Amino acid sequence: MSTTASLPTLRSWDVKGWGLRAVALSYLAFLLLLPLAALVQDGFREGPGVFFANIFRPTAWAALKLTLWTSALMAAVNGVIGTLTAYVLVRYRFFGKSLLNAVVDLPFAIPTLVTGVMLVILYGPRDLLGGFFHQHFDWKILFAPPAIVLALLFVNYPIVVRSVQPVLEELDFAEEEAAATLGASSWRTFWRVVFPAIRPALLSGVLLSFARALGEFGSIVVVAGNLPLRSQTAAVYVWGEIESENRLGASAMSIVLLACSFTLVLFVDWLQRRKGRGRG
Amino acid sequence: MAKSHPEHRQNPWVKYGLITAVAAYLLWLLGLPIFTLIRHTVEIGAGRIAEELWQSEVAHAFALTVLLSLGAVLFNGVFGTLVAYVMVRQRFRGRALINAILDLPFAVSPVVVGYMLILLFGKAGWLQGLAEWTGISWVFAWPGMLVATLFVTFPFVVREVMPVLEEVGTEQEEAARTLGAGGWKIFWRITLPGIRWGLLYGVSLTLARALGEFGAVLVVGAGVSGSTETATIYVYRAMEERMFGGAYAASLILIGFSFLLLLGMEWFKKRSNV
Amino acid sequence: MKFKLRHILTAACAAVAASACAAQGVPESRTLTLGAYTTPREAFREIHRDFKKLWRERHGEAIEIRESYLGSGAQSRAVVDGFPADVVVLSLEPDVERIVKAGLITHPWREAPQAGILTRSLVAFAVRAGNPKGIRDWADLARPDVEVLSPNPRTSGGAMWNILAAYGAAERGHVAGFPAGSEGGAAYLAALLKRVIAMDKGARESILTFEKGLGDVALSYENEIKVGAAQSLGYPYDLVLPASTILIENPVALVDKNIERHGNRALAEAYRDYLFSPAAQRVFAKWGFRPVNPEAQRETAKEFRDPPNLFTIAAFGGWAKAVPEFFGKGGLFMRLSEQERTVQK
Repeated sequence: MSTTASLPTLRSWDVKGWGLRAVALSYLAFLLLLPLAALVQDGFREGPGVFFANIFRPTAWAALKLTLWTSALMAAVNGVIGTLTAYVLVRYRFFGKSLLNAVVDLPFAIPTLVTGVMLVILYGPRDLLGGFFHQHFDWKILFAPPAIVLALLFVNYPIVVRSVQPVLEELDFAEEEAAATLGASSWRTFWRVVFPAIRPALLSGVLLSFARALGEFGSIVVVAGNLPLRSQTAAVYVWGEIESENRLGASAMSIVLLACSFTLVLFVDWLQRRKGRGRG
Repeated sequence: MAKSHPEHRQNPWVKYGLITAVAAYLLWLLGLPIFTLIRHTVEIGAGRIAEELWQSEVAHAFALTVLLSLGAVLFNGVFGTLVAYVMVRQRFRGRALINAILDLPFAVSPVVVGYMLILLFGKAGWLQGLAEWTGISWVFAWPGMLVATLFVTFPFVVREVMPVLEEVGTEQEEAARTLGAGGWKIFWRITLPGIRWGLLYGVSLTLARALGEFGAVLVVGAGVSGSTETATIYVYRAMEERMFGGAYAASLILIGFSFLLLLGMEWFKKRSNV
Repeated sequence: MKFKLRHILTAACAAVAASACAAQGVPESRTLTLGAYTTPREAFREIHRDFKKLWRERHGEAIEIRESYLGSGAQSRAVVDGFPADVVVLSLEPDVERIVKAGLITHPWREAPQAGILTRSLVAFAVRAGNPKGIRDWADLARPDVEVLSPNPRTSGGAMWNILAAYGAAERGHVAGFPAGSEGGAAYLAALLKRVIAMDKGARESILTFEKGLGDVALSYENEIKVGAAQSLGYPYDLVLPASTILIENPVALVDKNIERHGNRALAEAYRDYLFSPAAQRVFAKWGFRPVNPEAQRETAKEFRDPPNLFTIAAFGGWAKAVPEFFGKGGLFMRLSEQERTVQK
């Protein structure tokens, strides 16, 4: 940061500098802002009344609620598992650690649709795990909300791990060690020493995975069943509305989704910058 | 990893308990689905898979995926680096706002990306005139799909290159400038080598995301076989047509790509940290 | 380590250019784009293979046929929105009429052979193998222990046929426990919709969900159930024909504006005529459709049984009346599905 903070603003005769800036900003405007503006304009083209009516239609509202709670549940579980994974990866040395570390990114690299296909195979009522749950507990996983949570867990797994891991790596374990020698249990040590240090990073990771989950499509469309009111998420709802020519409904839901996740992303951005400044 | 971890003070029960828990979770979450996919593919048998995969549409689908991914790498590699350069090396009003906007694609659902482009280029869209004037069809055609891919993969290169650029600093560039080197030459000789590992890491993230993109390209392109069908859309169609051999095998091929990219990413990441 | 980024970039450019060329392929006049609804995919795969071969023998040139399959309503809207289909094969007439209204079909498509109807089918039930729940007729679908699958009428043409079949059977007094007449029809439809547990986007998606084990009965095209039951890798299932049901008629039409733009009228017309030929109609019959070609009809007559109380869309006064009455704003289906929502709340 220190090297660039002192950069002067461009002088008026620096043609190259202005040129570069103009090209960069036009690319941004064309690629990111123009489509966004078109969407917002379309959603509000018949006024805010119609916009809200479209959000509070029973199918739309149910899809939104389903998306929110499944994403929240996933984010909570991933918060715990992600922290645990990061802790194990940083704190311990063991056989297969580098493999484990590499595998963490796999869900990010695998196409989400393929994730969906794999889950369908695995959890179908006649297949390996699905059959087991179906026979012994009469649980239906596929084409129901549990499948949505599963898909989200898979797809968003790396996010929390990768945001907590670097903070843990920088953490001074002397403190933890001291607490341990003073007779504190591992659990207490974790809560008192480790947890406060990783809290901002954990929060970022959890919020980010929540934000990303709101829009997840590829994996969910295959596994969710897409029954309006019961197993249709917001992104799948948007798809249905596009195809059934309810443009206003599609636009309204798109805007809500976008507003929710973008606000979260901005908040996380702010959290991280604040943290960065605090440390520097 | 310079810090010495106090291994000897760790309770082995806790240690191995936690490791086992994480390993078991990952086996369940990642290992089991992939294993099942492989098992089902093998069960279907090579003959049927070959028959279903050996179609010109399937080759076309994979070719289109490669085309879109390379297009994303090319455009976002060049413009992403440029945007990162401008963001890091220049100060201007609204920079903080733009910095926030860079993350926008992370927050947008793929379906919404495709939908926005339909609104923009489709009937009565703002850019419909442009579409007619250029004679290029954007919606239901690959140009629109390329724009969709560019949108969803935009942040990766920018976000990977920006911190590296900041770290590299301007000293060497300044030194070269005082020695009389031109801007272009400085970029090729000094700046680019400085950021190459970050750039390559960003590029591999872009590739991974582009190869696997489904929702955005499906909505814009409508997934016409032999025309706007990508590899992922083919998997979706094959599932619907009960060509499970083709669907599973194509899925495995895509996972194979992912593995390769992952290896590349690990390597670039290590390099960019050095 | 010297890393030649420039070389990589050059290689990437070259690769993009190369694949762009590869993707261009055949000129548009030798390419035909078909926009169809979701169920005739397998039949078309076979028909296209034969037609390409025939065309090559007759004209000595290779052609390419691009296919897109969506729910009938969704496909029709996609064509209106600019999807460049030269030929559309849809589930029902109103979806063709929508394209006519948009000005893309300019010829009187009804005057084509067979009044523009390419295939016929029936609304039927898919039940679990051996029919463990003893589902024989419409009345069983309203039982509280039965879970029903039917696609969403807003995207799927098959779903609209399903709704009309259910209502029509009850209205004509063929559903036990519901009085004949429009009130009985509406009451039965309401009871049936309460039993629907999944509404997929298209008929194909719906039957695939059934194959994966969801539900006790799936409402679908007779052909879709026949093909699925033979091909499914999931749960096996059987076909049940109710005593009273609707005769489905699936239209085909040429999209004039797109054909003019692509300059492939000769190809499109030859293709359309081929679809009505005995050879193609035999393929349709093989995949469970009821053929319209008399020769193919005679050959396959014993595979298709007519239920005693068959009715057609004419019983509803044609689609022009049925669409607003059932699926328009305030139509019966829309009213009932909103009701169900409020009941659930």
